[in-house]
Amino acid sequence: MLTIYKREMGSYFRSPVAYCIIGFFMAVVGLMFWINSILQGSVQFSATLNAIGVYLTFIVPIITMRLLSDEKKNGTEVLLRTCPVPMWRIVIGKYMAAVSLFLVMTILTFIFPVLIAFLVEEGAVVGSAQDFGSYIGFIMLGMAYIAISLFVSSFTESQSVAAVSGIVVLLIFYFMQSIGASLGSKIGAVLQWLAPLARYQDFTVGSFNIASLIFYLTFSAMFVFLTYVNLERKRVL
Amino acid sequence: MGFLGPNGAGKSTTMNILTGYLSPTSGSVTIDGFDIMDSPQEAKKLIGYLPELPPLYQDMTVIEYLRFISELKSVPMKQRKRQLDEILSLIKLEDMQKRLIKNLSKGYKQRVGFAQALVGNPQVLVLDEPTVGLDPKQIIEIRKLIGALRHEHTIILSTHILQEVNAVCSSVAVINKGKIAATGSVSDFTAAEGTVSKFVISVVGASARPEAQKVIESAAGVRRVDFVRVDKDAYIFNVESEKKTDVRRGVFNALSHANMAVIELRPIGRTLEEIFIDIVSNEQGTEESR
Repeated sequence: MLTIYKREMGSYFRSPVAYCIIGFFMAVVGLMFWINSILQGSVQFSATLNAIGVYLTFIVPIITMRLLSDEKKNGTEVLLRTCPVPMWRIVIGKYMAAVSLFLVMTILTFIFPVLIAFLVEEGAVVGSAQDFGSYIGFIMLGMAYIAISLFVSSFTESQSVAAVSGIVVLLIFYFMQSIGASLGSKIGAVLQWLAPLARYQDFTVGSFNIASLIFYLTFSAMFVFLTYVNLERKRVL
Repeated sequence: MGFLGPNGAGKSTTMNILTGYLSPTSGSVTIDGFDIMDSPQEAKKLIGYLPELPPLYQDMTVIEYLRFISELKSVPMKQRKRQLDEILSLIKLEDMQKRLIKNLSKGYKQRVGFAQALVGNPQVLVLDEPTVGLDPKQIIEIRKLIGALRHEHTIILSTHILQEVNAVCSSVAVINKGKIAATGSVSDFTAAEGTVSKFVISVVGASARPEAQKVIESAAGVRRVDFVRVDKDAYIFNVESEKKTDVRRGVFNALSHANMAVIELRPIGRTLEEIFIDIVSNEQGTEESR
């Protein structure tokens, strides 16, 4: 598991992939920070975090797109399937690598709350519980998105198909909230309940919900498990 | 053991099943008592697999890649360095170990793939067409390597090249259209064509064909003599005899008594090539299953 994890992390940072993702991500966060915090004169960073949640829809599938498809393209899938390591460990190793890259990105954004701390006038409260809660929610949302797009990418051999279909599926999840709201019936309620982004937005306005935390963790675990099942299924011709 | 068959016969599929990459729809694979489906961890530890396309991570250097493989195959920490050094010197990759795999030539990539299969010192080596796409010098080197390894490992090698089987294998299985068509040792295939041994003989000095034929037939042990053709003043015959008696000396003596000279005498053993083509073309009707 650790072996796979180390290799994936190495491969992220050996290629320009990780740097491009981080660069793009930081640019988005910087822009959102400008709009939501500087222009509004707000000391709450959670407003910015709230806004960048949507952009994860496009960033996360880029993180996960090559984890599985590259193995198939290089023929190294054979290696992983014939080595004495069970498939679930391989899947978890890969998932953890993607989560770690995401954590690195998240930690880099700490620079903005720190910036706020320097900019505010004396006496203002910074580093609030709301910011802290938002970060927890942000990480949870990221983990859930990574699990979904990893699962989607387990269906294809091509990186670009993996990325595009990942974005599409995450968009569907994104729209679930508004579709559910407009339906209004019981199905609508289920859809709203399932929508990951809406739960995250609760975090960013200051409601720390344990149920949502559990929701995210089970949601992620379920999709990682489905990825494993899908890969095992493919052994049978 | 050589695994021989025309393109599309199912060689690679069989190898993929043997190594646990694919699940069989029926039947089972047992390696040293471990079933590949029931106890995959134990069974897979015993196998080193070199697929048709070497499974390489292009963005790693050779040594990084091999370290990754030894972690993957959970080689004990202490043995790792020594084992990798041994493999690198055996495969002659020492000079390349710091190079990125994507910058290596095809021959070197194949060797890295080979090195990968050897990591963990598995009992069984499964090699899927190990010499395809290499130049003749590299082919000879790889064959030498296989020859050196066969004393310590059980090697299953698939190929559609017959000389390869001749060069490195002790036993052969021929498959065609997913079925085993024939099995046996290489010498079984080439020599044991019934109990008859045959040779070609060219005779000069005879005044006429029947005269030479009569002399040959008179030698002890000769069962049958067929005239083939005249080449200038030489008469060429096919001679058949019982396998256990070597009649060549008798034939030679008889001919020299009759004042005739032997200018060529050459045994006819069927080559693996002919046998292979026979088997593959005959199997269309009479298929035998495993």
